[in-house]
Amino acid sequence: MTKLRIVLAAQIFFFFAWGGYLLFSKNAASPEFYLETVPVDPRDLLSGTYVALSYEVSTPQAGNCPGVLNSARNFFVKLENKGKTADTPAGTVPVYEATDCAAGSPDKEPGWVRAALRPNFPRPGASYGIERFFLNENDPRKDARSGSVIAKVKIDRRRQLVLLDLVKKYSR
Amino acid sequence: MSYYKKLKTELTGAADAGIITAEQADRVWERSYADRPFASFKAAHLIAAVSGLFIALGLILVVSYNWDKIGEAAKMGAFLLLFAGAAEAAIRLEDKPAAAIPLETLWFFMPALGIGLYAQIFNLSGDPVRPYLVWAALSAPLAVLSKRPLAAYFCSILLFAVLYWGTLGSTNMLSLTAGRGAAAQPFWHWPLALIVLGSGFALYPGKPLGKPLGAGIIWLFLLLAADTAIKVRSEALLLLAGMSLAVLWLTWGSEEKESVLGPLTAWTGAVYAMTFFWHYKPGYSHGASETAPYGAMITWGAFAGALITLAIRKQPLLPEGKMEDYLAKGLLAASMLCAFLLFDANEGSAMILAVIANLILAAFGAGCIISGSKSSDEKLINRGILIITLTAVTRFVDIFGSLLKSGVAFIITGLAFAALAYFINQGRKALIGAAKK
Repeated sequence: MTKLRIVLAAQIFFFFAWGGYLLFSKNAASPEFYLETVPVDPRDLLSGTYVALSYEVSTPQAGNCPGVLNSARNFFVKLENKGKTADTPAGTVPVYEATDCAAGSPDKEPGWVRAALRPNFPRPGASYGIERFFLNENDPRKDARSGSVIAKVKIDRRRQLVLLDLVKKYSR
Repeated sequence: MSYYKKLKTELTGAADAGIITAEQADRVWERSYADRPFASFKAAHLIAAVSGLFIALGLILVVSYNWDKIGEAAKMGAFLLLFAGAAEAAIRLEDKPAAAIPLETLWFFMPALGIGLYAQIFNLSGDPVRPYLVWAALSAPLAVLSKRPLAAYFCSILLFAVLYWGTLGSTNMLSLTAGRGAAAQPFWHWPLALIVLGSGFALYPGKPLGKPLGAGIIWLFLLLAADTAIKVRSEALLLLAGMSLAVLWLTWGSEEKESVLGPLTAWTGAVYAMTFFWHYKPGYSHGASETAPYGAMITWGAFAGALITLAIRKQPLLPEGKMEDYLAKGLLAASMLCAFLLFDANEGSAMILAVIANLILAAFGAGCIISGSKSSDEKLINRGILIITLTAVTRFVDIFGSLLKSGVAFIITGLAFAALAYFINQGRKALIGAAKK
């Protein structure tokens, strides 16, 4: 019985620590920005309905990206605002783009985020761990058409992208 | 009719016929009925369970309606409380099976619930296999330490399911097969896959390891056949690997009489499949890919291991008698050696292979019937009849199949089947009758 209680304590500690880390990352004091998305609608066995998101930055082509994507499984992508914006209910917001890639850890220069190789056919892409946005079955964003929403994100201390929200975009 | 009703009828019949006394019949019935699952589950428990279910469903609906309004910390806190409550109740009620079994099941599934909940709250995505591996890792200590084998069964099944799904996929942390247009799988996937395999074995409760061994052997064969670092592209080597692995499973995985069915079916099925080499045409090709050196090594290793095993271990094909033992070992060895006929095969050598496979099945069927008659083993006799009938019917359809287009052939075939069924049943009855005397 004591051993089973130790097991239980370890399990609870795991979820407590993980939850704390995720909360801390989500509320980290880093700037929020937006990414262009291409949503589709599947379902997860464990977590329910979600919108599967693909981003323009999922297939980075600028700078060293083509070479890095062909040689590394884990790498960094530089996200920057090059002047692109979108109109949302909260006003005009900056939309970031991928401007460069690096195989090794870059300097402390802001904007670099972790990515993993996504072996797409015919061209490899980048996966950032923000490819799912979970929502209620009745949420109208579940049926969002390609280009009608943008993703609100931020970068945590580990240079991991954190998905905060899926925001409706007004067409111009 | 339920099992207990049928048992009651049988016992009453036996008492009426004077085989046992009425008192003995009652005592046997009471003993059996008291051991039934959920025997201690009384009406009060049922009402309590139903009320609990209704309250839980009501709570779930209320929470679901307000889900978006509940804060992240509150959701996580509620989950942790529920988790701790279910697990603590399972520990405290350990000696009461009616409560402990569902509670321990709930405890086992709680980590999966938590991972799903966190993924939903924080929009997590990534490797599809990772959450299942984390779940297995979190639940493994429960599987090891629990008094009941329930969590161990669940955890072992989870690990084998993840092993198959992960390694045969091409875009996750366990992938061992090459994806379309993708880079080769990294080396570190292999140790991880082997750790998952070993854990699945280690956690499987009880002594008979036939089922996990079978799962591991089938997995290995699939990896040899798929596009992996151990791929085997030679038909002869693949057949040799398949037959050797089937023999290994049969000899190592059937220590208990009850566990022989799976490996025996696999071996018989493999030999049966070989009988279709009658239609083999050389020139089938897997494209430009070659057999990987590791794949060839594993194949030859399995073949050598199977031969050594045959020499040192008792075989389960024909369990009784020295002659039967020699015959069975000869059949098992022949089933592997047949594969050598496929090296540089032509239609002639493939036909010889098919004929030998038919002879192996016929000899095995006859061996079952003779051995079963000697040892009064009705099951063995029936197995022999089944194998011979299946082989005979397959060859009949195989050879005369093209004539079946005409109606006359259908009628003749039907009559032949009816006659075959009649004589086989008569022979079977005679053999069983002789065995019982």
